[in-house]
Amino acid sequence: MASLSEEVLLVVKRVRQRKQDGTLYLMAERIAWGPEGKDRFTVSHLYADIRCQKISPDGKAKIQLQLILHTGESTTFHFSNGSTALKDRDATKELLQQLLPKFKKKANKELEEKNRMLQEDPVLFQLYKDLVVSQVISAEEFWANRLSLNTVEHSLSNNSKQEVGISAAFLADIRPQTDGCNGLRYNLTSDIIESIFRTYPTVKQKYAENVPHNLTEKEFWTRFFQSHYFHRDRISTGQQDIFSECAKQDEKGLKSMVTQGVKNPMVDLLLLEDKTLDEGYGTATVPTTSNSSNKSLRENSNSAIIKRFNHHSAMVLAAGLRKADAPSDQASETSSTDGNSRDSDFFQLPLKKVKLQESIEYDDLQGDSGRKTIALNLKKSDRYSHGPIPLQSQHYTTSQDIINSISIIQHEMRNYKPRLTQVMSSNAASSAITALSPGGLLMQGGGQQTINQLVPTDVQIELKHLYTAAGELLRHFWSCFPVNTPFLEDKVKKCTFALIFTN
Amino acid sequence: FRLNIEGLLVYFPYDYIYPEQYSYMLELKRTLDAKVCYNPFIKLISSCMQYAYPLEVTKLVYCSRTVPEIEKVVEELRKLMDYYAKQTGVKNDFLALALSSRKNLCIHPEVSSLRFGKEVDGKCHSLTASYIRAQHHSNPSQPVCQFFEEFDAVGRQVPIPPGIYNLDDLKDFGRRKGWCPYFLARYAILHANIVVYSYHYLLDPKIADLVSKELAKKSVVVFDEAHNIDNVCIDSMSVNITRRTLDRCQTNVETLQNTISRIKETDAAKLREEYRRLVEGLKEANVARETDIYLSNPVLPDEILQEAVPGSIRTAEHFVGFIKRFLEYLKARLRIHHVVQESAPQFLKDIYEKVCIDRKPLRFCAERLRSLLRTLEIADIADFSAITLISHFATLVSTYSKGFTIIIEPFEDRTPTIANPVLHFSCMDPSIAIKPVFGRFQSVIITSGTLSPLDIYPRILDFRPVTMASFTMTLARTCLCPLIVGRGNDQVAMTSKFETREDFAVIRNYGNLLLEMSAIVPDGIVAFFTSYIYMENIVASWYEQGILENIQRNKLIFIETQDAAETSMALEKYQEACENGRGAILLSVARGKVSEGIDFVHHFGRAVIMFGVPYVYTQSRILKARLEYLRDQFQIRENDFLTFDAMRHAAQCVGRAIRGKTDYGLMIFADKRYARADKRGKLPRWIQEHLTDGSLNLTIDETVQLSKHFLRQMAQPFRREDQLGLSLLTLEQLQSEDMLQKIAQIAQQA
Repeated sequence: MASLSEEVLLVVKRVRQRKQDGTLYLMAERIAWGPEGKDRFTVSHLYADIRCQKISPDGKAKIQLQLILHTGESTTFHFSNGSTALKDRDATKELLQQLLPKFKKKANKELEEKNRMLQEDPVLFQLYKDLVVSQVISAEEFWANRLSLNTVEHSLSNNSKQEVGISAAFLADIRPQTDGCNGLRYNLTSDIIESIFRTYPTVKQKYAENVPHNLTEKEFWTRFFQSHYFHRDRISTGQQDIFSECAKQDEKGLKSMVTQGVKNPMVDLLLLEDKTLDEGYGTATVPTTSNSSNKSLRENSNSAIIKRFNHHSAMVLAAGLRKADAPSDQASETSSTDGNSRDSDFFQLPLKKVKLQESIEYDDLQGDSGRKTIALNLKKSDRYSHGPIPLQSQHYTTSQDIINSISIIQHEMRNYKPRLTQVMSSNAASSAITALSPGGLLMQGGGQQTINQLVPTDVQIELKHLYTAAGELLRHFWSCFPVNTPFLEDKVKKCTFALIFTN
Repeated sequence: FRLNIEGLLVYFPYDYIYPEQYSYMLELKRTLDAKVCYNPFIKLISSCMQYAYPLEVTKLVYCSRTVPEIEKVVEELRKLMDYYAKQTGVKNDFLALALSSRKNLCIHPEVSSLRFGKEVDGKCHSLTASYIRAQHHSNPSQPVCQFFEEFDAVGRQVPIPPGIYNLDDLKDFGRRKGWCPYFLARYAILHANIVVYSYHYLLDPKIADLVSKELAKKSVVVFDEAHNIDNVCIDSMSVNITRRTLDRCQTNVETLQNTISRIKETDAAKLREEYRRLVEGLKEANVARETDIYLSNPVLPDEILQEAVPGSIRTAEHFVGFIKRFLEYLKARLRIHHVVQESAPQFLKDIYEKVCIDRKPLRFCAERLRSLLRTLEIADIADFSAITLISHFATLVSTYSKGFTIIIEPFEDRTPTIANPVLHFSCMDPSIAIKPVFGRFQSVIITSGTLSPLDIYPRILDFRPVTMASFTMTLARTCLCPLIVGRGNDQVAMTSKFETREDFAVIRNYGNLLLEMSAIVPDGIVAFFTSYIYMENIVASWYEQGILENIQRNKLIFIETQDAAETSMALEKYQEACENGRGAILLSVARGKVSEGIDFVHHFGRAVIMFGVPYVYTQSRILKARLEYLRDQFQIRENDFLTFDAMRHAAQCVGRAIRGKTDYGLMIFADKRYARADKRGKLPRWIQEHLTDGSLNLTIDETVQLSKHFLRQMAQPFRREDQLGLSLLTLEQLQSEDMLQKIAQIAQQA
C-alpha cells in the first residue's frame, strides 16, 4: 500500500458509499474511501480528475457530498455519523474547496483539449482509433503535431465564437421565494453569479477579498441580498455594509462616465443649446440651490431608482462589449485623460463629420451612386479573354523568391490538415476521374452509377478509413523530412514500415 | 438636376425629388417678398429654398434652434454649392457661415478648455476687452488673446475667402491664420450671403443689438423649427428676481461704490469725461466695442430713448445711490406673505409713492449701468450679472406698459413652508420681441414640421401672413402608423388626466402597454411622459410592481434625468444598444431637452409612445396671466391655447421618429383624450391623415395586433421603384402635366 505513505490531510469516519460504511481519506493529491474493516480503497480519485463537488441542501435528512468527475461519473458520500455528520461534511467540503482549485489550474488542460477535439471531430476520432488504438503510431506522435496546430485554430474558433451577452433582467430572475417562516430564499445559479460578476466587477472584487477568509460563500450572498446595494430604492445609511463601498465605486464610475462626456456630438445635450439665457432671464422658474435638501425621501429614492436603471443598463451593455473592444477602450481612455480640449478637438472631428454627413443624407433621393463597387482593373485585357497562356520568358524569378516560396510551402505543409468533410462530392470526383481516364468523357455513362452501388457500404466505410489513415501516415512520413535527427530517422523507418504494412 | 420654377432656375443636388419639395419651392417662389408661414414635413425642404435665391436676394439669415441643427444646415448648403459649382462650372464667390457662441468657436488654448459658456465668455472678455488691450499697450505683461490681436491687426482688411464655413471650418481657418474665429465670424456675417445661427441672435434684443444690428434690410429671414418660437420670444424678455439675486446685487453695488471712490482719488478725469459724454447724450463711441460683452439694452431698438441721460443719475455716485434705493425697494417688495400680481403701471406708481423713483431714470438704468461699467474698467463682467439683471428689469418695466405682468410669490407652491420669494417679471406677448424682425426685414419665413394648427401662429405673433400653406405627405407605403390607445385590456380608461393619473390601474395599464410593445418592436422605443415628476412616480411604481423587470427581459432601459450630462450618456448608451441589436427603451419627458433636440431616426426609434397629453403645468400663475392676456388681447380661449400647446409638444415628440420616406415608425398616443376631435384636429396634417377612425380608441391587445401587422409590412424590402412616380419623382415625371396638377393639391392654403 504505497499510497498510505501519502500525507493524509483529513480522515472522516462513518461515511457511507453505496450503502456501505467506510472511512473517507483526504490526501495531498487524491481523495479516497475504503470500506469498513478493509485496508484498501475501493474509491480513489485524483483531485485533478474532479470537476466539482456538490452538497445536499441544509435541512435535508441525508447529509451528502457528491463528487463529479471530468468523465461525467459521480460518486456520492453519505455522512452518517449522527450528530457530527454535518460538521464532518462541512469540514470535508471546506478542505476540498481549498484543494480543488489548486489542482484545477494544472488540471490536465491538454487532456481535456484532446478529449474535446475527439468528441467534436468524428473523423479525427476514427483516425485516432485506427492509428493509435491499433498501435500503428503512439498517442504522443499522433498528437504531437496536431495539438500545436489545433491550439492556433482553437483560439481562432474561440474568438469567432460569440460571447453570450447578459440578460438585462438577470437580477429579476433571482425570484425570492418565501420559505414559510418569515424568510426569503434566493436561488442562485452559476450563470447568475457569472452575470453579477461580469456586470458589477466591484462585487467580484469584494467576493475575492472576503470569500473564503472572512465569509463563507453563503454568507456573502446573503449579505448581498440584504444590502442596500441590491435594493437600490432603499437609501443607504449603514456604513458597516460591505457593499456600501461598491455603491460608492459605482457612483464614481458613473460620474467618471458622465464627465468623460459622449463621443457622439449629435447627442450631447450640453452642446445642444447655443446661447443659454443668462441666469435670471426667462420664464422657467430657477431651480433653487436648496433643492436637494428639501426633496422628500420618496423623491430621493425615486431618482435613485432611475439612476440605478441607467447604470445597470450601461453596465450590462458594457459587459457584453467589454471583451470585444477592450484595447480600443483603453486607447480612448488614455486619450481623454490627457485630454486638454485641443486634443479632444482633433480627436472628435472626424466622428463629428461622419455623423453630420450621415444626418444629411437621404438615401432615397440619391441616385444609385451610393452603392460603390470595386471596378475590375485589367492590366492585360487580352489575357483575360484568352485564358492563361504559357509565360513568356521575360519574367524570371529570383532565387530569393524561390526560397521564399519554398519556405511558404513548407509552412503550409506543416499546417496542412486534410479536411475530409469538405472534399468534393463523390459524384463530382468520379466524373472527374472518368473524364481524365482513358476514353475520357465517352465512357462516362457507364462509370458513374457504379461505384456507389457496386461496393457495399461497409466496404466503402472501411476504404474511407483506410484512406484517411494512410493519408495521416503519409503526412507524418513527409513531415519527417528533412531527416536530421536520429529520432526522426527512427520515425521515418516506423512510418515506412507501417505504410508498407497497411498496403 | 435643374428645375424651372415659374421662370426661376433652381439647382437641386439630388437625382430624385419628393413632390412636396417641389410644391414647397413653388409656394416659396410665389410669395417671396413677404412673410410666409409654412408647414412642411421634413426639414430638407426648408433648406431647399436656400439655393433658389442666392443670386436674387442679398442675404439670407437662417435661424435654427440647436447647434447640431445649425451644422446640419450648413452641411446641406455645402452639398448644394458643390453641386452648383459642378453643374455650372463656375466657382461663384459665395460666402456662407455659421455663427455660434464663443464656447463653440474659441480656439484659445486656455479659454476653450473651460466647460461652461459663461466662463468662456468671461475669460474671453478679460483678455479682449478694449481697456485691457489699452493697458496692454502700456504694460506688455498684461495678458491678451493673441488670436484676437492678430485678427484685429489684419483680419478686417482681408476678407474671408468665399466658401461654406461650418463651425469647425471656421476654427480650422482661424487656427491656420492665427485669427480668432468668433470675432472673424461676427465680422464676416456683415458681408456673408448666408448666415446660419440660433434664434437668440435675432430675437433677444440684448444680443441682437450687438450681433445682428447691421444686417441689411433686404435680407430674407427664415425661422426653422419654429413651432416654439413664441416661447423663445417670451423667454428673452422675461426676468426673474430672487432674494439671492438681490444679495448678489448688493455686493455688486458695494464693489461699484468702492471702485468709484478709488478712481475718484486716482483718476477723477475719467469720471468727469463720462459725465460730459452723458450730458451731451452721446452714445459711446463705437471704437473697439465689439469685444465688450456687456449685454445690450434689453428693450427693442425703437423703444430706446434717443436723448440724454437724465440729470439725477448722471454722476456715478448718484447713479449708485439710485440703484441702491431701487434695490431696497425690491427687497421690501420681496418681504411678503401672500402672492401679489400687478401690472407694470401699478408697479411704477407704487415705486414712485414709496421711494420717489421716477419712470424716466428707470428707463435709462440699463444704458447708464453699461456706461458706468465700461468707465470703471471692470474686468470680470460675469460677477456683475446680478446688477445687470436688476437694471434690465428697471428698464423693461418702465418702458413697456402693456404685455407684461409682475408676479411676486413668497414661496414655491410645492413647498409652502420654505420661504423663497421670487419676483417674476413675465412677458406675455411674444409679438413684442418678434415685431422688429417683421418690421425690419423684407421677408420672414416661419417653417417647421409641426406647426399646427397654422392659423394660431399669426394670431399669437401678431402678423399678417402673405401665404400660409401646409403640405401633406405623399407616401408609396404608409410608413407611419399613429394609434390612439384609450383603454387597457381590462377596459379601464387610460389617461393622464389629473384626477386619475395616480390611479393604480392606469399606471399598470401604461406599464403593460410598454411591456407589450417592448416584446414586438425591434430596436429602439422612445417613450415620453408628460412631466418629469410624473415619470419619476411611474417609474417607481413600475419598479415596485415588477413591470420594469419584465421589460428588461426584452430591452435595456435608459431614463432621462434632470442632469444634462447624465442624460447625454444615457442617450449614447441607448443608441449603442440600438446599434448592436440588443434594443433599448428610452424613457423621456415631453418639453425636455431630449424631445426638443434629438432625432430618433430609423432603428433608433421604431416606436414612440406618448403617455398622456403633455399639458403645461396649469397651476402656474405666470401661465394663468398669459392665458388671460391671450384671451383679452387676441381672443384666444384658454382651452384652445392649452390644447394647442399640448398638441404641438406631442407632435414634436412623435415626429422625432420619422425622417424620410424610407424611415418608418409607430406613433402611439396613450391617452383616450387624443381621440376627441379638438385634440386630434390639432395634430399636423401629415399625421392626421393616417389616423383612421378604426384606430381611435384601441385596447392594448388591439394595439399590439395592429402594430405587429404594421411592422411586418414595413419589414418588407422597400425599393426605389416602389416609390418612383408616387412619392419620388425624376425630372421627367416632374414635368408631366398631371403630376403638376397633383402637386398643386399637396399644398393646402390655410
